[in-house]
Amino acid sequence: MEKTLSALVVHDIKNALALLEIDLEQLIHRENAPTEGLRAYRRCVDLKSRLISFLTLYKHDQSGLQPLRQEVVLLEFIEDLVRNSQSGMAAESHHGHKITVSIDYEKMKMGSMATAWLDENLVELAMESAINNAIRYTHHRVGVWVEQTPDALILNVQDDGVGVGVVGELVQRNVPDQSSSTGLGLALCKAVAEAHGGGEVRLGNVAGGGALFSMTLRSTS
Amino acid sequence: MATILPQGASIFDKHVENEYIRFDKLSALVIDDISSMRHAIRTQLQSIGMNSVGVAVNAHEALELIGLNTYDVILCDYNLNKSSSGQHFLEYLRNENILSATTLFIMLTAETEYSFVANAVEFIPDDYLLKPCSEAKLRSRLERLIDRRTYLMRVLKAMDIRRYDVAIHECNKLLATAADDRRRMDVLRRKAEAQLKLEEYTAVLDTYARAATIRADTPWILLGMARAHYALGDSAQASTLASELIDKNKSYVAAYELLAKIRLEADDEEGAFDLLLRSSAILPSAKRLRSVAQAAFLLGRLDEAKANAEAAIQLSTGSMVERSGDYLSLAQTLVDMGDHKSAILTLEKNARKHGDEGIFGVAKGAILAQAYFDAGEREKAKKLMDRSISLLASRKNSFVMTALGKAALKVGDVILGLKLLTKAIQCSGKDEMRIARYVKKSMVDTGQKDKVEDVIDGGRKRILLLLDEATKLMRTAHFEEANQMVVEALDIQEENIETLMTAAQLHLLWLKHGGLDDKIMARAKNYLSMLDKLVPNNQKVMNFYRFFNEIASK
Repeated sequence: MEKTLSALVVHDIKNALALLEIDLEQLIHRENAPTEGLRAYRRCVDLKSRLISFLTLYKHDQSGLQPLRQEVVLLEFIEDLVRNSQSGMAAESHHGHKITVSIDYEKMKMGSMATAWLDENLVELAMESAINNAIRYTHHRVGVWVEQTPDALILNVQDDGVGVGVVGELVQRNVPDQSSSTGLGLALCKAVAEAHGGGEVRLGNVAGGGALFSMTLRSTS
Repeated sequence: MATILPQGASIFDKHVENEYIRFDKLSALVIDDISSMRHAIRTQLQSIGMNSVGVAVNAHEALELIGLNTYDVILCDYNLNKSSSGQHFLEYLRNENILSATTLFIMLTAETEYSFVANAVEFIPDDYLLKPCSEAKLRSRLERLIDRRTYLMRVLKAMDIRRYDVAIHECNKLLATAADDRRRMDVLRRKAEAQLKLEEYTAVLDTYARAATIRADTPWILLGMARAHYALGDSAQASTLASELIDKNKSYVAAYELLAKIRLEADDEEGAFDLLLRSSAILPSAKRLRSVAQAAFLLGRLDEAKANAEAAIQLSTGSMVERSGDYLSLAQTLVDMGDHKSAILTLEKNARKHGDEGIFGVAKGAILAQAYFDAGEREKAKKLMDRSISLLASRKNSFVMTALGKAALKVGDVILGLKLLTKAIQCSGKDEMRIARYVKKSMVDTGQKDKVEDVIDGGRKRILLLLDEATKLMRTAHFEEANQMVVEALDIQEENIETLMTAAQLHLLWLKHGGLDDKIMARAKNYLSMLDKLVPNNQKVMNFYRFFNEIASK
């Protein structure tokens, strides 16, 4: 198919998905909304985020991502991120029991007013996909925290699921199949780190069970 | 340096939900050409609690609504339609000062399509939001942005009513207590803006230097510093900074444009042209294509002038940045290329919708006269020119006078031609440099090269002489005589800033020494208001105003 035509079709599908998401969103706002509605909403959000990840990656491959950096207050950023990933899930997930996503304040290593110089939209896309991935595999809880050092910013997402098959392997050398959502998400995170002047993306297991995702963005200035 | 936090999170406790934001008190405008999307976003905003949400299909509709209401938030789709993107719309709103400083402008874009543009332009919106987004995300972004706006509200309100001194004062109060670097940067940026308006360039540099200690390679800091140095007359330093900005950010068009201005002033026309060409290649807009066309025309690179003028017409037709003047530039270029046929076609057929009225009609006649003269239809040429001259009457439009002057020289009326061109220079005001180059080209093209200097410098030299005389007379309290000199100088060039400054100063002194006279008072007021229009927020003019008010209140 012609390239521009494909682009148009993809764009259309994305918009249609977004409208569906908004419809479902309104539906689950209602009192006594059916649980099926919530499930459909989750599925829709997930599909849309996969499509957007794919499109962002495509853009990265074609012409490279160009970040628009701004001074971002880290705590605000992380709190909004966690709040938003919570909201669609409400009380239940496809596991059939409650899953919580929250900030691990005791693991945070940064000043309370710390800022970072980054493209909020890009980093948000990457982190959303990491959190969504963790939600998919976790048992009960997903923890998110940030560590800031003089020369890097490390964003972490940890779950308490069964963990991943490959232990401690660098993603750069071992990108899982991009057609899986984990692989797609990791490739996206790597692209975002690259766009921010380089960094690392790791997905490994932690002692005591669960997987730890971490994305390191090196400070440039 | 990062702080390692102790166990527990007590220090974060004050960050709770922004429950104090009253969404029901806020109004919003959604601009999107897809109807389902427009209404979906409105639904989301209503669901967040906003009661007053307007929608617009395109920039024209939006403009009408913005004229009627002051919105708290504008959400604008980046891809409005082919001819005008959200970015063009935003640039238009900012350039025309249509948007209140308190309105948040948020651009809705598809994944990262904004980043290229955002890294290239000076006018960026308050935020970019990836569309489509969930209600939760929309809400949290809005909360944060509104929070920021509330924080800056006193500054923004002062900016809106042009009380820049108050804005600076409010900024200083905020800076004394700003809790984080994000807030400090926000405030410093506004402070620099206000100082720039007041032309306090040395102070601006201090403000930027302070912002640079937070994040040195921020594009707006580098651009602002370059502009301040330029305004202070230090073109070398301005060049260095603008070049540094381009090194770090290859697509930052505002830096290319500043460099082009500097080159032009150093008489490096080719260099300036190259820079303009690069900036318009990065981000073509009707405005940029126009300046390239103009620069090419003045350099005699007529093929490029033609191509860019045509591109400007094509890009702007049907949008709000459409200008009838584009057809005039194109037609004049075509005449100069010897293609009178296309010039006539351009003006009589393609530009038909702009009619023959007003100043456009006068200029159109002047260029058509040249074209018909070249086509051998001398009678028709003469008729067109006479009509234009009679319609010109008391209008003082330098561009039109230049076209008419050229037409007159072409048909052989040298006296009239030189008179018109001299007049064009005299009423060119702030545009003097550019008009002088047009006049020079017109004279070179028509074999009047040897008289260029007389025409361009004649009036200016006389004005300087008169002002010098007026100043001497004023110092010895010969106000009436000094006024005669000033009036004569104003007769040569109405909007000459130096003359108006002298006139204002003279009348203020006159009032002070000669007591209060209604006539002199009215004249003083008139000069001051002319100056305020020509050089808004000029420190000297403001001092004059203060002085005037002191005298008037006695």
